[in-house]
Formats: sequence, C-alpha cells, structure tokens
Amino acid sequence: MLQLKNVDVCYGSFKALNEISMTVNSGELVVLLGANGAGKSSLFNTLSGLNKPTAGDIEFEGKRLNGLRPSAIVDAGIVQCAEGRKLFPQMSVQQNLMLGAYVHRRDKQGNRRRYKEILEMFPILEEKAEQPAGSLSGGQQQMVAIGRAMMSRPRLLMLDEPSLGLAPLIVRQMFQTIQQINSLGTTVLLAEQNAFAALKIASRAYVMENGRLVMEGDREAMLGNEKVREAYIGA
Amino acid sequence: MNLFFQQIINGMTLGSIYGLVALGLTLVYGILHIPNFAHGALYMVGAFMTYFLMVDIGAHYWVAMAGSAIIVAIVAVLSERLVFHPLRNSPPIHDKIAAIGILLFLEALVQMIWGADFRRISSPYTGILNFDGLIIPEQRLLIIVGAFVLVAALQLFLRKTMTGATIIAMAQNRDGAFLVGIDANRVAMMTFAISGILAAFAATLYAPINLVYPAMGHVVIMKAFVIIILGGMGSIPGAIVGGMIIGFAEAFGGFYISTSYKDIIAFGLLVVILSIRPQGLFTKGAH
Repeated sequence: MLQLKNVDVCYGSFKALNEISMTVNSGELVVLLGANGAGKSSLFNTLSGLNKPTAGDIEFEGKRLNGLRPSAIVDAGIVQCAEGRKLFPQMSVQQNLMLGAYVHRRDKQGNRRRYKEILEMFPILEEKAEQPAGSLSGGQQQMVAIGRAMMSRPRLLMLDEPSLGLAPLIVRQMFQTIQQINSLGTTVLLAEQNAFAALKIASRAYVMENGRLVMEGDREAMLGNEKVREAYIGA
Repeated sequence: MNLFFQQIINGMTLGSIYGLVALGLTLVYGILHIPNFAHGALYMVGAFMTYFLMVDIGAHYWVAMAGSAIIVAIVAVLSERLVFHPLRNSPPIHDKIAAIGILLFLEALVQMIWGADFRRISSPYTGILNFDGLIIPEQRLLIIVGAFVLVAALQLFLRKTMTGATIIAMAQNRDGAFLVGIDANRVAMMTFAISGILAAFAATLYAPINLVYPAMGHVVIMKAFVIIILGGMGSIPGAIVGGMIIGFAEAFGGFYISTSYKDIIAFGLLVVILSIRPQGLFTKGAH
C-alpha cells in the first residue's frame, strides 16, 4: 500500500531523515517506535506533504507522492492526526469534525453518515458538539483530532503520539479506539513512545533512531527483542 | 442636540468605510500574515473603476459598483498569484517591499491613464432625509446600511459555508488546515478576492461624497492599519469596532476640537489604546 525507498529529508544542512525505506501493507497496524527527535514526526510530515523529500521515492497504492501538495495527499487517502492535535481551537467540535470532510465536501449525505459514525465512536463528543474545541480536556481534544482525521475517510491513517499527555485510563481507551479503527478496515501507521501498549495492538513495528530506521519486525519479535525491551519498554 | 446626533451619523459613515477597508486588510493579515500596504491602492482602483464604468461607459451606479468589485477582486488575486505567492518562502520583509511595489505600480498606472486630477462621481442618491432637524444625506445612509449588509454577508459566508470555514480554519491553525486537505492556494486567492471586493465596495460607496484621485488610498490605508493594530491584527470584530472607534473619534474630534486635528486624533487614540492593551482590543495574546 505504502512504500518508501531511500527517502531523505533535509532541513537546511541537517539531515532529518536518512535513507528511509519501509512498507506498510493494506489492513496493517504498523508502529513506529523512537525517542523524541528520532524523526518520527518528520517522517509523518513528509508523508503528509508538509516536508519535501530531497531524495528517494514515496509511493501510495501505486501513485508517486513526491512533491504532491498536502491537499492532494489527503485526497489520495493518507491523513495525519498530528502530535499536538492541531485543532481549530475557536471552532466548535462539530465544525472541526466537518472540516475533516473537506476533501469530500460535495458528498453531504456521506459526510453526515460519517459524522454519526464518529459520534458513535466517541459518544462524549455529541454532548460537546457546540463547544469550542479549544475548551475541551486533552483526551476529548484527542478524540476530536482522531475523529476529524477519520472524517477524511483515510485509507491510511497516521497517528503521531496520540497518547501524549493523557491520563492512563484515557490512554487505554485511545488504544482500544485505534485498534477498532484498524479492525474496521483502515490501515494505521502509529508513532508512539508508549511502546508496550502500541506493540500490543500492532501487526509490525519499525524502530527509528537519529533519522534512520534501525530495526524492523513483527509484534512478537519486537516484544521479545531485548534491545527494544530495554530502550523502549523499560523491562 | 441635533448637532451631536449629526456627528454620530458622520462617525458611523466614516467608521463604516474605514471598517470595510480594514476588514479586507485584517483578513489578509490574519490568514497569510502579509501586511498588504497595497490595499489602499486597491481601494483607489475601486473608485477609478466605478468612475470609468459610470462616466466613460455610462453604467448605472449599482452596475458600476458590481463591475468595480469584480475588477478589483481580479487585480487582488493577480497580486497574490504573481507577487505574494512566489515570495511565500522568502523573509517577511520581501512581502512588505513587494506590497509597496504594487501600491506604487497601481498608482502610477492609474495616473498614466486618468491623470492626477481630482474627479467626482455622481450618485443617484442625492436626496437629503430630514428627521425632525437631523439631516442625513441619502448617500451617507447608503454607506452605513451598505457596510452593515456587507459585514453581515461576510459573517454569514465565513460562519455558515464550508468555503468560509476554510478561511477561518487557516487563520486558526495553518498546519491543521493543511492536514485536513484545505488547499492553501485556493484560500489565499479567495481571501485576496474578498479583500479586493470589500475595498471596491468601500470606495464606490464613499466616492460620491469625496473626490477620486490616484493618491486617495494613502490616508485610508494608514487609518486601516491603525484600526487593525488597535482592534487586534487579524481580528474581524476588531476591524469593525476599530473602524467605528476611529470614525467616531474623527467626527467628534473634528467637530468639537478642530477638523485640522482629525488625523492626529486617530493616531493619538492608537497610542493611548496600545499603551493600555498592547495586543489590541480583540486578541487574547500579542501576535
């Protein structure tokens, strides 16, 4: 579904991504592990078209994505739920969610149906529909961010640190929701520092260090890998 | 007492025009962070287009207003596409220099075609309404009502349509807007078009009670900048309320102190308000 071949990204003279080659297959839930500054967000922003690769190829469902604008990438089916949520804080929850359907704006009926599905996934948002998104708690804002991304009807959903700054109970619910989204047919690429929780729901994982992919394996292999356990799980 | 109410009408007239011009300026600043010094030139081009369509073509006032709005919207979009868009990744000073370049270009172009003379546009609304001694010229009433209708229409567009929502979304979180697939180019062009339309409407409404000349945008754009700084850069309510504050201050200051000081009053107010609230009236934090 998604294939990266030797992708480099530079910020001036600094190489943020170095020869990244990876694959995400349709229906998978792939986890990207790595410490702060490893390059996970840079990779996601590159896939979203916010960063331009300086070398290499990105292909999604056979289509080359290099150089495409962010709007074209969302249109192609890749949607990012970014770290920090990037909501429209003074707009209501409903407006935030409906803007998620911007690329499908002509399909009003489909968007209404999708909106209902999102509210079924996050029932609390129905009560908060008229409130400004910026006034919600961190967990609720994360629900809006995921809901907004899902309104775009992604085929590949990229989630960047969705558990960051959330209470443990909310984190558990968040991972259940991510698993549910995946089981309903959306391919998920998840960047997480909460490695154990992420690996428990993953099909496969990559480990990223200093802008390079240094390890790859399926869930069992990763959970059993001593280096991964030491560095990211702490056991 | 009637003189007092007369100044209210004068203040509302001025405030309406200033508010409309400032609205366009603040929309562009709020979304693209470009301080468009050329906005005063768009206002001037709007007045000249109305003059051209009415005097040279013989169009009716309303037709000329619509035609002027379309032409100025196109000029504004062209300035975005040909000048500001290619500079989007340049240091911010380049936008400012380019904006001054557009201002000088448009002024020189208009002066080359129509000369530097002062011109007058006649309005079909020359009557005077008398409400028990309170005199309101029809054109001034048209300015106030017209500005109200335009602001209401703009609010409806921004709040109730998906296209309008993309403009607000871009102003609130640029990255968030990209992530939902909002096309930055489309929003930029739309914002410039709206700012041009508002400038053309303001110019056409105000031209019949003022003169039309190539440098007519200078004072207006200076006041518009005062208004958006005072109201809060990028704030729509700030532009409207700021416009009214400056309009009333000029009308009352001009009447009760001296018309010679009316421009100083606007800048004096700016100093006073920014001393108390440096971020402007309608922003939560300094920009």
